[in-house]
Amino acid sequence: MAGDLLVWAPVKKEDNVLFAPLGAGDEPFLAYLNTKNAPKNVFFPHTETLMKFTRTPKGMEFSSEVNKADQSVLFGVRPCDAHSFVLLDKLFDQEKYKDGYYIDKRKNTTVISLACVKPPYASCFCTSVDGEPVSADGADILLTDIGGDYLVEFATEKGEKLAPYFGETKADAAADAKKAEAAARAREAVASTIPAHEIKPILDVNFDNPFWNTIHGKCLACGTCTYVCPTCHCFDISDEVKGSDGIRIRSWDSCMFPLFTKETSGHNPRSSQKERWRQRTMHKFKYYVDMFNAIACVGCGRCVMSCPVNIDIRKIVADISKL
Amino acid sequence: MQNPYIPYPVVVDKIITEVDTKDIKTFRFKFVNPEDEQKYAYMPGQFGELSIFGKGESPIGIASSPTQKGYVEFTVQKAGVVTSALHEMEEGTVMGIRGPLGNSWPLQFLEGKNIVIVGGGFAFTTLRSMINYALHEDNRKRFGNITVIYGARNPGLLLYKDELEAWAKRSDINLNVTVDKGDATWKGREGFVPAVCKDVAPSKENAVALICGPPVMIRFTLPVFFEIGFSKENIITSLEMRMKCGIGKCGRCNVGSKYVCKDGPVFSLAELDKLTPEY
Repeated sequence: MAGDLLVWAPVKKEDNVLFAPLGAGDEPFLAYLNTKNAPKNVFFPHTETLMKFTRTPKGMEFSSEVNKADQSVLFGVRPCDAHSFVLLDKLFDQEKYKDGYYIDKRKNTTVISLACVKPPYASCFCTSVDGEPVSADGADILLTDIGGDYLVEFATEKGEKLAPYFGETKADAAADAKKAEAAARAREAVASTIPAHEIKPILDVNFDNPFWNTIHGKCLACGTCTYVCPTCHCFDISDEVKGSDGIRIRSWDSCMFPLFTKETSGHNPRSSQKERWRQRTMHKFKYYVDMFNAIACVGCGRCVMSCPVNIDIRKIVADISKL
Repeated sequence: MQNPYIPYPVVVDKIITEVDTKDIKTFRFKFVNPEDEQKYAYMPGQFGELSIFGKGESPIGIASSPTQKGYVEFTVQKAGVVTSALHEMEEGTVMGIRGPLGNSWPLQFLEGKNIVIVGGGFAFTTLRSMINYALHEDNRKRFGNITVIYGARNPGLLLYKDELEAWAKRSDINLNVTVDKGDATWKGREGFVPAVCKDVAPSKENAVALICGPPVMIRFTLPVFFEIGFSKENIITSLEMRMKCGIGKCGRCNVGSKYVCKDGPVFSLAELDKLTPEY
């Protein structure tokens, strides 16, 4: 497949497993639990050129739109991360303002999920946020390890187009039963639960609760939680010029950074880390629900594992549920 | 479909220095491709992203009215990277504008009502758009009385001086211009905007107030209108936040569950009451 199409798959890079394009003949690294970073960068790269411009006698002028989306395959996505694509679609593919950069890549990419028959981490909590460890949600194809063999399920037409790559053997009822068993076992094995659905009405009325003073004390404002998060989508837009040519780029940004909302006047509506943590929590569990009727968290646990000072979203949500 | 991130190319057609301090200028842009004007159909209260390649973009309220054909105007204070670059520009330069973005002054809601417009300082720009729109012969009969209270710190800081003079001569607008402190040649009113509002005391009957200005002006003006009896549904304002994309994706200008760029910038006080006080 990697010879015909651009294939993104988990590969080992130094100590981390990350999604990267495979060269022909390259093998993906399959002994992974989950990747260090979320796969959102396939559709929403951390730096992406939006357009090009060039110097003319009349000033810098727009020269070309940048829009290239190769036919590609994103292989080995965990179901929690595939669920994040459904959430990001709600934002980038809205009725009024469509984000062509994201949509083109998303449309031209076939997502192949690899079910978590053994949910990998103690910090996994997908089942608390509308996810399942064995689920084709957000994917075009789902692969489930049913003990020796993989059951291949085509969830969309886009997925079916790749059927020739998967051999001829038809799954029988026994395979389906094994998958159902595996799914039930996996569901039981998800290690963490959080009361994510209980806190929306609490957040609705607790914007000013002193509780918000208790999260951010040790936060370094490093932004790692937002960087690794599958659903964080904030970005900055900036220009770069070299000689007489330039590009306008967008790059990931973070609500954890003081400059994110600072205005030219000096005024900053989110003036301390307290307000920024409230924003991050509210955005995931209240604002996104208000806007799109969905929680913007997939329970992958990356922020829990990556935070250098051990701020734990599971504890934050649990604490809020007791307010 | 139009890519919302790509600006329309425009020529800087005319630059008007508005104030004595020379740090507020009105830029009149003409579209390089005439058909783009149609695509940029806007309403008073909307804004655009002024786009200078190599410098970046800045969200600015549209100061002209859609009834002014052939161009679009923005009044810009020199403040950051983009606006400083803009202030250095000469007529004839090509740059870009994106938009129109955001909602607008609630024109349908205002239809048939008396409109009280209160502006302070540099925040008068989209109110000026509204005034010119409402005063246009095609629209004037759609609205009731129009009362304007506009203040600046001193006479040299008043925007749109020619228009203020022209409006003052009309009988279908009640114009009250004030300065905090006059100078030797100033013959008009002196006093802060809230005091002038109290003095003018616009009736609340079938009336809606559009109020834009610096926070301190807003803080002292609102109680005046509450005292007159204006409801929070009938007091409308426009918010400013740091913005980038302008289309509700980049994530920085939200106030609670609303993006100021997409769901605003115009909100009634009743709507703002339902949002978080984080702006």
